[in-house]
Amino acid sequence: MATLHLHSFSPFTDTRLASGLRILSSGDGVLLCGDAVYALQPGCAIREQLVELTSTCEVIALAEDLESRGIDSLPATIRSIDYAQFVEACARYDRTNTWL
Amino acid sequence: MKFAITVFSPPYSPSSRRALRFCEAALAGSHEIVRLFFYQDGVYNASGAIVTSQDETNLGHEWTRFIESNSLDAVVCIAAALKRGVLDETEARRYQRPGDGVVNVPWALSGLGQLHEAAQQADRFIAFGGS
Repeated sequence: MATLHLHSFSPFTDTRLASGLRILSSGDGVLLCGDAVYALQPGCAIREQLVELTSTCEVIALAEDLESRGIDSLPATIRSIDYAQFVEACARYDRTNTWL
Repeated sequence: MKFAITVFSPPYSPSSRRALRFCEAALAGSHEIVRLFFYQDGVYNASGAIVTSQDETNLGHEWTRFIESNSLDAVVCIAAALKRGVLDETEARRYQRPGDGVVNVPWALSGLGQLHEAAQQADRFIAFGGS
């Protein structure tokens, strides 16, 4: 079953995102929102890791959280989404897992 | 598609706002929300006692309006609510606390079984919390 993993914590304050990425299966998805979008800051290692992941997993990020944090240049393989697309992604995967 | 939503964060948290925007988008996309379950600090969303600064969004009020206008089932975890002093009139009387409680319709205090039931009834179960 394909799982959409929802992350909202900054990757620079704890290991939730790193742990979450380790257990991904091919076909799973990663949705970044809240402070988790800091993972997409240009020049950081976790951004490169996420780009590599996109060969087997979808990586998406909530547009309003990117905008409010000034992150405006996404890698070509990572898509920014609005709330309608957030809902659509949750419906498209078999289940979601929120990393609280 | 049927969604069950649980909210772990208080009304002054960005994730509670995110949960509300998600729910609005779900209904706008013709999906159904079988139940909203407010757990842990999420119970504060139901508190009518919170005073919000004039320059901030009153998210508890927005949740109340959203629930009322869409006739949604909104459950507040009773154990989490009691330990945080988020009481309705019945619980305030039962535990002899001052006032008439701070939780009013459309919110309902109930048990964790409601969360389990909602997760069973829904096609997707989504949790919101954290930052």
